[in-house]
Amino acid sequence: MIVLWILLILVAACVLWGVAVYNNLVQLRENAKNGWSQIDVQLKRRHDLIPNLVETAKGYMAHESGTLENVIKARQQAVDASSIKDKQAAENFLSSTLRSLFAVTENYPNLKADQQMRQLHEELTSTENKITFARQYYNDEVNRLNTSVQSFPDNFIASKFKFEKRDFFELEDDSEKETPKVKF
Amino acid sequence: MPYSFTKIEEDKTKTISFVFFFLIFVYFAAFWLIAVLSVNFFNYQASPRAFTFHFTVLKFSQTLIIFGFAFIIGFVHWNWTTANLIVKILGVLKAEKLNPKDRYHQMFQNIVDEVSVATGGKKMEAVVIPTMAMNAFALADFSGQAVIGLTEGMLARLTRAQIEAVVGHEAAHIVSGDCLATTITTSLFELFSGVLRGFEAVFRGGGRQGGYSSMRVSARGGAGVIVFLMLIYMLLSVTKMLSQLVRLFISRQREYRADAIAVRLTRDPLSLAEALYAISYRWRGGGLPAQELESIFIVNPLYSAVDEGDGLLSEMFSTHPPIDGRLGILLDMAHSDVELVVKDVERQAQKPRTAVPEIKGSTTQWMAHKDGAWQGPFDMMQMMTLGWMRPETWVQRLGGKKVQMVYQDEDIRHIVSKGEPGKAGGAYQCPKCSLPLNVITYEGTEVHKCSSCRGTLVEEKDVQRIIIRQEVGFSERIKKIAEGISREEKLMAFKKINRDPKTLLRCPKCLHPRTRMMRMFYTEAYRVEVDKCFMCGLIWFDGDELEVVQYMIEHSLNKSRS
Repeated sequence: MIVLWILLILVAACVLWGVAVYNNLVQLRENAKNGWSQIDVQLKRRHDLIPNLVETAKGYMAHESGTLENVIKARQQAVDASSIKDKQAAENFLSSTLRSLFAVTENYPNLKADQQMRQLHEELTSTENKITFARQYYNDEVNRLNTSVQSFPDNFIASKFKFEKRDFFELEDDSEKETPKVKF
Repeated sequence: MPYSFTKIEEDKTKTISFVFFFLIFVYFAAFWLIAVLSVNFFNYQASPRAFTFHFTVLKFSQTLIIFGFAFIIGFVHWNWTTANLIVKILGVLKAEKLNPKDRYHQMFQNIVDEVSVATGGKKMEAVVIPTMAMNAFALADFSGQAVIGLTEGMLARLTRAQIEAVVGHEAAHIVSGDCLATTITTSLFELFSGVLRGFEAVFRGGGRQGGYSSMRVSARGGAGVIVFLMLIYMLLSVTKMLSQLVRLFISRQREYRADAIAVRLTRDPLSLAEALYAISYRWRGGGLPAQELESIFIVNPLYSAVDEGDGLLSEMFSTHPPIDGRLGILLDMAHSDVELVVKDVERQAQKPRTAVPEIKGSTTQWMAHKDGAWQGPFDMMQMMTLGWMRPETWVQRLGGKKVQMVYQDEDIRHIVSKGEPGKAGGAYQCPKCSLPLNVITYEGTEVHKCSSCRGTLVEEKDVQRIIIRQEVGFSERIKKIAEGISREEKLMAFKKINRDPKTLLRCPKCLHPRTRMMRMFYTEAYRVEVDKCFMCGLIWFDGDELEVVQYMIEHSLNKSRS
């Protein structure tokens, strides 16, 4: 009789533990999803800002049409990319073209003083920071999810209910690991 | 183990329920003490000879009733405090909503949004306090509303990255939940302080005419009233003393913790260190209207020896840890040292100024039709002096195709309608030359400037902002004028203000037919003549005057600081 009770209690404890682990995994997965959608929102915002930026810059820097075309091209690639891997590559390329664009604007004091350009610059800086922060949040959450999915004994529950590891959203180029912050 | 922002939310309720019971305990202790004292007092009156003082005069049931009473009062007090909590505190701090057209405010809003993304989407509002001081605060209430506030001085003097770090610190208070506890505990006992101040005013006023009503009461009502007043005063004093203990709950550790989370959010310990240094060693900022509220700020607004000390007493009673300690930890993370930070901040204080933006007059020119022939071209100033312009005169813009009458052209309509100055093209008109004023961005905020007389029309609250901000450098001419005015002040040779009614200006916004703008000095300390509308608060500065005021105030500030 006592053995039966002990068994019953053990089974109940196991079930409770399983439920807790399951709920925790669901929470982690949702956080990661939420983080990814944040990145998506910010990337889209960046894509929306770029045409305006190019329009404004065009008026001041007719000689730099090559730089501007590069930015437009990179933007189109980024918009078209669908998988996480493609997106990473395209966004990295876009970041580098943007950086060279802003480097070139240093030579045009009139452009730098332009009210609209200042505003666009601020908006773009803000969006770049948001992308950085969103990626940071996403990667943190993915890290927690992946750790939980692989570690013992949670991995039993994870494999049973098909919780899977997610890919990080990373920067490939080492020089880009510095946050693209602009000091005024 | 990464810091989980979702989990930590659960911990915050503990401190808060603790504070709630502390409040009830404070009331209970005060009521109980008074009950014991009064019972003893009556015992003494009944039989003065056999009287000995007892603490245990109350029955259990009586104690229970007192407790119930204290509970109800405490509950009412609690609800009264926590309702509209944030609105009340923002009122005390004189905080303002952001102006979406102001460049500094746009940046601040963006930064708050960025940090919100870093926390995984916690919603936070942004407000500013219009003072020169440098400080920042965070507030939160039960409904989940959260507010981050910065002073204008901070927005003007720190770099974007530094502001980001400071906002990160404040956001850390919010997501870690300690902000809610701090907000409630600090505001909880403000009620006492307020009532107590009122009482003290009455007592102190006793000798003077202010206390004459209370004297009359005491003369009529006799000792009873005085004893009653004294009792209430005692009650309040006891509760206030006990409430000082509430600082025990506000651990100074939470500032260290918030610094750490801020670094996790923004990954930029160096900027946070620079910001802390800049705030604490340059503009910590008295002048904030909130002594009781010190706990909500990033750096204690008033320098306090308790804060900067170590030891048990400091640990228990101070609300902020020593700045040196905080800097040390942050600089370790950033692999940097204090000297570098000091150099950086010094350099930042001397960042290059831009020239005062000059606006070109409108370059549009018109041809006008007179006596069967086209004349011109004229620019706007010339057209105003022509004398033969009528509303139905035909005009054509140079280079334009359309021929229309003067009154149909929005930009020059005002020339022929002097009787009723209105808005030309949606803009205000210069009160001196009736030209439409151009909207320009000056020191990050919008002002209206006349292209002809170079006078400037500014909203009163924006004047403060312009003075605080330091983008614009000043020409030698401005310096000479400003120094001239200060010399006159020293010699006490004050100029008389010309208040001839004919020269007074009409406010371009209110356009009131009879009322004129008031001509006055900007302040008695800075004797620059300005025209101010007392109906809408707009201020008109003649050409150069705004820059002169800016230069004088900035200059005297620099003098007093060094």
